[in-house]
Amino acid sequence: MVPTVLGVIFLTFILFNIVPNDLAAISLGKNVTPEMLERFDEVRGLNLPLFFGKKATTRSMNDQNFSKGMYDWRGDNISYNLNGNYISTNFKYNFNPLSFKLNESYAYEWTGIARGNGIIAGNEFNSETWNNFKIISSNKDSEVFFGNIDFKKIKIRKIINNPFNSQLFFYFRQLSNADFGYSESFKQPVTKLISDGIWPSLSLTIPIFFIGLFISIFLSLICALYRNKFIDRFFVILSVALMSINYVVYIVAGQYLLGFKMNIFPVWGYESLSYLFLPVLIGVISGLGSNIRFYRTIMLDEMYKDYVRTAYSKGASKFRVLFKHILKNASIPIITNVVIAIPFLYTGSLLLENFFGIPGLGYLGINAILSADIDVVRALVLIGSLLFVLSNLLTDICYALVDPRVRLR
Amino acid sequence: MKKFRSTGLWDDAFKRLKKDNIAMISLFIVIFFTFLAIYGELVYQYHEALDLTPNYQKTNLEIAYTSPNMNHLMGTDGLGRDVMGRLVQGVRIAYKVGIITSLIAIPIGVILGCLAGYYGGKIDDFIVWFYSTVASMPGLLFILAIAMIFKGQGLLGIYLGIGLTTWVGLCRLIRGEVLKHKELTYVQSAKVLGISSSKIMFKHILPNIFHIIIVTFTLRFPAAVGTEVIMSYLGIGVQNQPSWGLMIESARMRLWQGMWWEMTFVTIALFLLVLSFNLLGDSLRDALDPKLKD
Repeated sequence: MVPTVLGVIFLTFILFNIVPNDLAAISLGKNVTPEMLERFDEVRGLNLPLFFGKKATTRSMNDQNFSKGMYDWRGDNISYNLNGNYISTNFKYNFNPLSFKLNESYAYEWTGIARGNGIIAGNEFNSETWNNFKIISSNKDSEVFFGNIDFKKIKIRKIINNPFNSQLFFYFRQLSNADFGYSESFKQPVTKLISDGIWPSLSLTIPIFFIGLFISIFLSLICALYRNKFIDRFFVILSVALMSINYVVYIVAGQYLLGFKMNIFPVWGYESLSYLFLPVLIGVISGLGSNIRFYRTIMLDEMYKDYVRTAYSKGASKFRVLFKHILKNASIPIITNVVIAIPFLYTGSLLLENFFGIPGLGYLGINAILSADIDVVRALVLIGSLLFVLSNLLTDICYALVDPRVRLR
Repeated sequence: MKKFRSTGLWDDAFKRLKKDNIAMISLFIVIFFTFLAIYGELVYQYHEALDLTPNYQKTNLEIAYTSPNMNHLMGTDGLGRDVMGRLVQGVRIAYKVGIITSLIAIPIGVILGCLAGYYGGKIDDFIVWFYSTVASMPGLLFILAIAMIFKGQGLLGIYLGIGLTTWVGLCRLIRGEVLKHKELTYVQSAKVLGISSSKIMFKHILPNIFHIIIVTFTLRFPAAVGTEVIMSYLGIGVQNQPSWGLMIESARMRLWQGMWWEMTFVTIALFLLVLSFNLLGDSLRDALDPKLKD
C-alpha cells in the first residue's frame, strides 16, 4: 500500500510539475506581469529546483542570448551589433534590467559573456576582450548596471542554500500539512473548497450508488434464476444497450423529457430535496447496464455450485435459496465492488453535477479544469487516488471479516 | 471421401461468429461506419489539400434550423450547416480518437504485460506497482487533467488523456496470459533452443494471445469514442471541428425549442456505433476465447 501511495504522489507530481512547461502561464492565462508569475510560483514552490539543485531561475529577467537579436532586453542607450551578435550598452545612469524587486533572502548569481568597462550587478567589470563573468550579488546590487559594456549573453540565477529545498520536497511538506494550495480562480484555499463540496457530492452519489446496487442485485438474481429464458436474454440485451448510451445523452434526454416536457422535476439548482430526484434517477439508470452484467456473472458463478443443489434437494424454496444461500456467498465480490466504488462517490459525478448545478466536487472539478486551476485539479486527483488505495485496503479487511477462510497476515 | 483440413483458432472463431446473427449485424454496421469514416477523411483531406471550405463548415444563416428535407436529409443546424455532412465528419473524428488512443494504449499494455509476465521478479514488481498506481487515479478526472495540461494543442490532449490511462486492464490480462504460457512446453523448448527472450515473447507467445488484443481493441474503441464525446461536450476536447460531442452541445438548448433533428440523428449514430462495437466485441470474445465467456 505504501509504495502505491508514494507512486500516486509521485505521479501527480510528474503530471503537474514536470510535464507542463509553464504551469503559471497555463493557470493565469494571458496579460500577466512577470511579478504575478513569480508570486504564483513562490506560493506553489515552483521557483525551486525540481528534485535537487543549488540554482533556480527567477521570472524577474529571462535568460538573454543576443546571438539572434535584442531578445527582450529593454532600456535606453542600447544598440545591437549585427555582425558581432552582441549588444552595446552606454548606461549614463544606473540601469535596472529586472522587471521587479528580487527576494532579499537569496543571493543571486550573474553569468554571461561581456567586455568593456563598467558595473555589472553592483560589481566592477573591466575587460578589453570577450570574457566570461560570474558575479555573486545581493538582490539590491543586482539592480545596478552602469558604464559601457558589450554583452553576448547574460542570465541570472537564484542561489538555493539548501539543495534539498526542491519542488518535490515542497510538495511533500505541503501534503504533510494537509495543505493543497490556493485556488487561483476561486480565490480560496483548496482545502475549504473541497470540504464545502464534498457534502453536495455525497448527497448525490450515495443515493445513486445504493439504489443502483439494490436494483441491479435484484435484477441479476432474477436473471440468474431464469438463465437463458426470455427474461434473462431481455435483461442481457437491455444492459448492453444501456451501456451503449452515452452519459451525456442520458442527461440531455432526462432533462428534456422529464424536466422540460413532462415538467415533473426541476432541472437546475440545489435548493431542496426535489432537485436531487432527476440526477439520481439518471445516475441510477446510466449505471444499471454495467452493474447488471457484473452481478449477473457473479450470481451465475454461484448458481451451479453444490451447496445450491443441496439446498434445493432439501426442499428450500427458490426464494430462500436465492436470497439466503446465493446472496450470502456472492457477498464477497459484491463487497469488493462496493468498497472499490467509495473513491468514485467522493469525486461525485462530474457530468451530473455540472449539468444540474449541484455545487459538489464534480462541479468544482470541471470548472477548475475549464479555468486551468491546477491546485484544485491536483488536489482532487490526489485525494481521489489516495481514497482508492485506502479502499483497496478496506476490501482486504472486509474479506477477512466476511470469509473465515481468509486470514490477514 | 471428405477432405480433412486442420482448422485453426481463427477459422473456428469465424465459423462460430457466422452463426451468431447479432454479431454479423454488428459487424455489418461497424463496416458501414468504417466506410463512412474513410469517406469523411477523404472529403476532409480533399478540402484541406485544395484549401476550400467544405460544405459542412459553410454557414448560411438564411437556412438555419431547417427541418429535414430533400436538400438536407437531416436538416441544418443553427448556422445553416448541413447536419448529415457534419455527422459523417463526426464519424471520422470518432474513429480517429478510437484508433489513435488504441495505438497509444495497446502497445504500452502489451509490452509492459509481456515484460512483467515473462521476466517476473523485480521487473514484474515494478510494472505491477506502476499499473496499480495508474489504476488508482480517478478515471475521467485524470483524463481531463491530462487534457488540460495539453490545452490548446487540438486533439493531442484527448489522445494522450485517453491513451495513457486505459492500458491497465490489457496489461493485467497480457501479464496473466504470459505467466501461463511461460510454463507451456513450446516456450520451454524455445528457451532450450537458445532463442532470445524478446523473440520468444513477441514472436512465439504474442501470436498465441493475440485474440486478447483484438477483443480489447473492439471493446475499448467504443469507450474511447464515448469519452471523447463527453470531453468535447464539456469543451475540453475538439474545437472547430464537427465532433459529436460539440454537436450534442449545440443541439441541446435548441431541442427545447423543438429543433429535434440534430440531437436525434447524432445520438442515434453514436448509439449505433457504440452498441455495435460492444456487441461485436462480446461475440468476438465468446468466439475466440470460450473460457472468458460469462
